[in-house]
Amino acid sequence: MEPKKTPLYQKHLENKAHIVDFSGWALPIEYTSILKETRAVRLSCGLFDASHMGEIIVKGSQPLDFLQALTPNDISKTKSGQLRYNVFLNEKAGIIDDLMVYNLGDSFLCVVNASNINKVYTHLCKAKLEGKYVKPDNVEIVDESPEISLLSLQGPESAKVISEIFGKDINNLKYMHFVQLNFENKNIILSRSGYTGEDGFELYCPNSIAGSLWDIVLEKGKGHGLCLCGLGARDVLRIEAGYPLYGHEINDDTNPLEASLDWVVKFKKDFIAKDKLKNAEIASLRVGFIMQTRAIARQGYSVYSKDKIIGKVTSGTFSPNLDKFIGMAYVEKEFSKTGTSIEIKIREKFYKAQISDFNFIKPRTKRGL
Amino acid sequence: MSTLKFSKTHEWAKIDNNTAVIGITDYAQKSLGDIVFIELSKVKDKVKQAAQFGTIESTKAASELYSPLSGEVLEVNKDLINNPQWVNESPLEKGWMIKIKIENSSELNSLMDEAAYKDFVAKETH
Repeated sequence: MEPKKTPLYQKHLENKAHIVDFSGWALPIEYTSILKETRAVRLSCGLFDASHMGEIIVKGSQPLDFLQALTPNDISKTKSGQLRYNVFLNEKAGIIDDLMVYNLGDSFLCVVNASNINKVYTHLCKAKLEGKYVKPDNVEIVDESPEISLLSLQGPESAKVISEIFGKDINNLKYMHFVQLNFENKNIILSRSGYTGEDGFELYCPNSIAGSLWDIVLEKGKGHGLCLCGLGARDVLRIEAGYPLYGHEINDDTNPLEASLDWVVKFKKDFIAKDKLKNAEIASLRVGFIMQTRAIARQGYSVYSKDKIIGKVTSGTFSPNLDKFIGMAYVEKEFSKTGTSIEIKIREKFYKAQISDFNFIKPRTKRGL
Repeated sequence: MSTLKFSKTHEWAKIDNNTAVIGITDYAQKSLGDIVFIELSKVKDKVKQAAQFGTIESTKAASELYSPLSGEVLEVNKDLINNPQWVNESPLEKGWMIKIKIENSSELNSLMDEAAYKDFVAKETH
């Protein structure tokens, strides 16, 4: 099947991007160098096309009750104009997808992973029809993914670039807050958020104006060291920040507690599979690790302690910002303490590594101008 | 005078009498992206034409290195292990990988010269 193209595809070609097929989308893996792009986001700023991401609107008279029942985080705490991280759980407390929930006032925008759009949409429609949580007529699910583009500007200089386009007031926007703005007579959402652990902004817009928005961010960013970034850099940056990625750290068979996402789970409220989760025996935990020598431990490699397999790698990379080889893995609970020595088998050889907190780079998300 | 030969798997061999210095081509380093890890055969190892003599990893993926010629390894570019970026910066000079004693010079016939390799790459990118 021919991969789908985002409205910015032509721009990527003009900028000589190296295009790959990423879960059915033709997107840049890099423009010039993953390492250079990764550094730029920590030092100045980088612009990403994340239009493959899914946008599902939940509206009607009871969208909050509906979403509360399907997720463990407490959305009632997310005020209008705010967004929060959350996960959709199945009946076994496994993660259907992780997402950002935007409170739009009378409805909610769920931003989901590209590879899971259909799965989440089907799950929501099924839950609506079953009417277990709210009456089917009281909730409406709309998949707006095909009409919406997403641009992400990340890095310490992002606020300056965004202020030049939308005015100085934008800098008062707090992390995990958003505003709706007018651009070329269209409504766009500008949120202070991202997937890198840096200060940054995400811009949701109708496809028709994605190109002009891209152009103006690029133009204003020139004076602030803006670097065009591909999915390769996006992956390294999220690993440096310790963020899970669906299909790597989380999937339908992992629950949020073993994924070390305890903070997402609010047992004070009711939600699907709450009892399952409460009584779940947690045998393994998501951890970070740092290699003691040069070597990339990639997804699927076995983790050892002495001669025994104690876990599996879920992501691994070279971090140019730390100048270290890092990654994430699931290991048996007793080996999950920071500082524990482990070995990872790479191409029939054993390489030493050490368990670490997975926030390799502490979040730097609340900077001002 | 040395001559440069190329394999279909994008390695080069700089031939000087009965020795060959081996590395990967500029096209190969560009498609691999940022190189961050290299593992090479050791001195005195025997390498075979089209067989693996090492592993190279970029931020994108791990790939095998195939020797363009058979022979015994005489020298290894040890500095490359801690400076894998040299393969990106200078694939034909600082980024050389191993030097071998050519075992069978008739194998040279199966390699391409610079012009033929250029055509080969042009075809592969289309």
